[in-house]
Amino acid sequence: MEKFPLKQTKGPPVSPSYQAVNKKYTNGHPLENSQSSSRTRGFTDDEMIDINTNSGDHRHTRLEDEDGISHYSVSYGGTSDTGADIPGIGQYDDFHTIDWQRDIARDRMRHRHIVKKKQDSFWNLIEGAHDAWSGWLCVLLVGLCTGTVAGVIDIGASWMTDLKFGICPQAFWLNREQCCWSNETSFETGNCSQWLTWPEVLGQAKSGAGPYIISYLIFALWALLFAALSASLVRMFAPYACGSGIPEIKTILSGFIIRGYLGKWTLLIKCVGLILSVSSGLSLGKEGPMVHIACAIGNILSYLFPKYGRNEAKKREILSASAAAGVSVAFGAPIGGVLFSLEEVSYYFPLKTLWRSFFCALIAAFILRSINPFGNEHSVLFYVEYNKPWMFIELVPFILLGIIGGVIATIFIKANLYWCRFRKYSKLGQYPVTEVLVVTALTALIAFPNPYTRMNTSQLIYLLFSQCGIANSDPICDYNRNFTDVKSAIDLAAAGPGVYNAIWLLIVALVLKMIMTVFTFGIKVPCGLFIPSLCLGAIVGRIMGIFMEQLAYNYPKNWFFSGECSSGDDCITPGLYAMVGAAAVLGGVTRMTVSLVVIMFELTGGVRYIVPLMAAAMASKWVGDALGRQGIYDAHIALNGYPFLDSKDEFQHTSLAADVMQPKRNETLSVITQDSMTVDDVEGLLKDTEHNGYPVVVSKDSQYLVGFVLRKDLNLAIANAKRMVDGICGQSLVLFTSGNPPQTLGPPPLKLKKILDMAPITITDQTPMETVVDMFRKLGLRQTLVTHNGRLLGVITKKDVLRHIKQMDNEDPNSILFN
Amino acid sequence: MVKMKCILVSLVVFLSVSVVQAQFDDKRCKCICPSLSSVTNKTEKTHTERLMQTTNDPPNKCNCEVVMLPRVADKLNVSEMREFCPRCECKYENRKTTIIRYVVIIVIWIISILVVYMLFLILLDPLLNKRVKGNYQEHTNEEEDAQPGPMSHNMSARGNVLNRVSNQQDKWKRQVKEQRRNIYDRHTMLN
Repeated sequence: MEKFPLKQTKGPPVSPSYQAVNKKYTNGHPLENSQSSSRTRGFTDDEMIDINTNSGDHRHTRLEDEDGISHYSVSYGGTSDTGADIPGIGQYDDFHTIDWQRDIARDRMRHRHIVKKKQDSFWNLIEGAHDAWSGWLCVLLVGLCTGTVAGVIDIGASWMTDLKFGICPQAFWLNREQCCWSNETSFETGNCSQWLTWPEVLGQAKSGAGPYIISYLIFALWALLFAALSASLVRMFAPYACGSGIPEIKTILSGFIIRGYLGKWTLLIKCVGLILSVSSGLSLGKEGPMVHIACAIGNILSYLFPKYGRNEAKKREILSASAAAGVSVAFGAPIGGVLFSLEEVSYYFPLKTLWRSFFCALIAAFILRSINPFGNEHSVLFYVEYNKPWMFIELVPFILLGIIGGVIATIFIKANLYWCRFRKYSKLGQYPVTEVLVVTALTALIAFPNPYTRMNTSQLIYLLFSQCGIANSDPICDYNRNFTDVKSAIDLAAAGPGVYNAIWLLIVALVLKMIMTVFTFGIKVPCGLFIPSLCLGAIVGRIMGIFMEQLAYNYPKNWFFSGECSSGDDCITPGLYAMVGAAAVLGGVTRMTVSLVVIMFELTGGVRYIVPLMAAAMASKWVGDALGRQGIYDAHIALNGYPFLDSKDEFQHTSLAADVMQPKRNETLSVITQDSMTVDDVEGLLKDTEHNGYPVVVSKDSQYLVGFVLRKDLNLAIANAKRMVDGICGQSLVLFTSGNPPQTLGPPPLKLKKILDMAPITITDQTPMETVVDMFRKLGLRQTLVTHNGRLLGVITKKDVLRHIKQMDNEDPNSILFN
Repeated sequence: MVKMKCILVSLVVFLSVSVVQAQFDDKRCKCICPSLSSVTNKTEKTHTERLMQTTNDPPNKCNCEVVMLPRVADKLNVSEMREFCPRCECKYENRKTTIIRYVVIIVIWIISILVVYMLFLILLDPLLNKRVKGNYQEHTNEEEDAQPGPMSHNMSARGNVLNRVSNQQDKWKRQVKEQRRNIYDRHTMLN
């Protein structure tokens, strides 16, 4: 791939044709321009007329444009041109907000250039074609890589999880299930000659007190080893790999730059660390980090395509598609992934991105499915297939589950946030690796005695979701069934003692998992939240399902079941309740609705349960919203103070732009004049102030706005000019006009019109903040200029808006992370 | 260096893969049936256990008649046999042990390489850096993207490559240090 698409073009090295329109105009009226610049001293009526003619001429050039080139070509002409001239222009510093408008305009320019070039030669035609399909190609590659990486993680994690229990000596790479795959003859889990538990490896008996203690110890030791490795790898190589990553991805997609967050090392360490931390038995999942991994893959691959790699706004289209692929492989739910990207993480989601996300999710799911990591023909461990009807009256327990789910989720969010805040501000935060080790040790010690916490969380979810058939021999399926009826293999039956025993264990597991997850989410290893919350909900749901089932068994004639259970059929499916409960808790934690329901029904392979899932998700969201305002991801964004302007919240205060804008009263606005400052002046200004951009005005007295120039561009352009152009020194005038300087003596002027944004978004000082906030959200602005009577008055940046919102909500406005 | 590692890894992977016995099949047919007592009403021990059988029959022959009946034929009469089979669950499954093998070995290798590199960075790197620091300092300024000239020959090219690698490594270390400061010291991110 070429790095500079605009540089490689054949033909004369003059500026591209859309630029030529601008140039033609400037060449055509040099006199007028020099006049205008010579007359800018002082504030006269002439000047106003002059400005008017200037803008009039701009309009004129637009009319001259016959092939429908829009107005941006004039105002942004320079930006894309200099992108190739001065390295680094159009890129952003760490922790800065991107300017969507500017980047999209830049891309439009580039696209127009390619379209125009197409006719020139065959090579250019190919280049054009490559440009056109590069978006699809990029998401194809992202899908391929995401699917493969997900397969590797799935296989690695399932193998390493079972390593805590034993080993398959003849083929050490197989986990317990795969080891016993072809020689299974009995239901007893230990009854497989190929698989050796650790006591057996050490020459002990299979069961008894001694072996139990040995396996307990070895279990805890492996867990500690994995967690320690994970935490220290993260700390050593890529600290950004810790956590779930979804709050950060949301922030990045809303237009924030975190350098290195989606880099190669983060990707590698997140994958490896995820395998290790999942297998350490901590109460965490791999689904959330999978979104981060997919986005990192998308970011890395987008550098193969300069169209995306060099344009932050365009890159976010690829990242949205990658996020969809991440969820697609995490749950084997391609459509759910697309909707997740749309509903939860993406900020700017045009239809084009929707289709690309769809394609990307499809490819990723296909690849993972063909890798077949679990040997069950599906891409998740807890895929279940259901085809049982449900009764209308069952909606009542489903909604009840939704309410319980909302309550559990709120308790979880509050507790977790309290703990995370405590970690942030107390001494605890100074011992990240120790904290991981302590949490792991406690988790391992507590989890081992209870079979439901000992097993892998995904397996537990699978167990809770699945129906009790003849294949299922867990105590949870200890019903007094004898399968005497051929027609309905599974009939309603009385629960045996095993079931009641299992319920108690499950309740203990619920409490333990809840507490453990509160302390786990936020430790410095890669950790996701989907699996633990699904698990909490599935436990609650399963218990409720068993309760309902026994109710139906004992009172089949009750009005509540409206006679549908009297035939002795299996009219209540506890597994379905588990599923609904899982959806409810997950919905309450993340506040997802549509994508959650789609993910859940893609997991079950049937559309029959959409209504129960919808009812539960809705009830849980209502309860959650009533008890606590934010979902866990928004709460973490607020905790970290990421500059995320939520498009879901409404701004309801009556402030005006003048109240928010910088500078406040008694301060002066730092501006650059278009043709009267020297390089020294500008450098002094850059040194004295820390603003990220400066408005350019006609003169300091008149404050008529010309445009806006970014600090970074200014720095780069001056440095570049000092290197490349002879005679530029401290006394050179900095010109943002296109004409010649008024005086011909002295050093040559520095012409910086190329980096000037001539079409900054402006508002008046009386604009209500509601409108301003809307503009920031919908247009993705980085800053807007405030004028009064046509003269520049101040600047509102995204940071000002966020601070203002925080202030209005009575929160600390200084908590926002920004540079 | 990286290339060498790659070759080494692939070599070891191939070696370890070639030692494999073909004992673990890639497909199976698994049948699970309820206990015989559900059709015979006998209460002997052999009749009250659920039954499971795994064979490697092809998918079209993966049913109770082929897989299960020969095993229980002596215990059931004809009519019982006809009743017994509809209650069984037979499932044909396949998997890819080769992929699992490669993946697990690669994962082990990646983890061990990372651990070795981490130990190197923790233990040896400070020692090495202390020695080199004296004559190294002048190189660290803005020569990061200096390209090796076209006429540079073996020796200088190698030196350049080494320099560039170590420059890259320094840059990366700085970035990681910055990330660490953000997360572990200042707690501004990822709390």
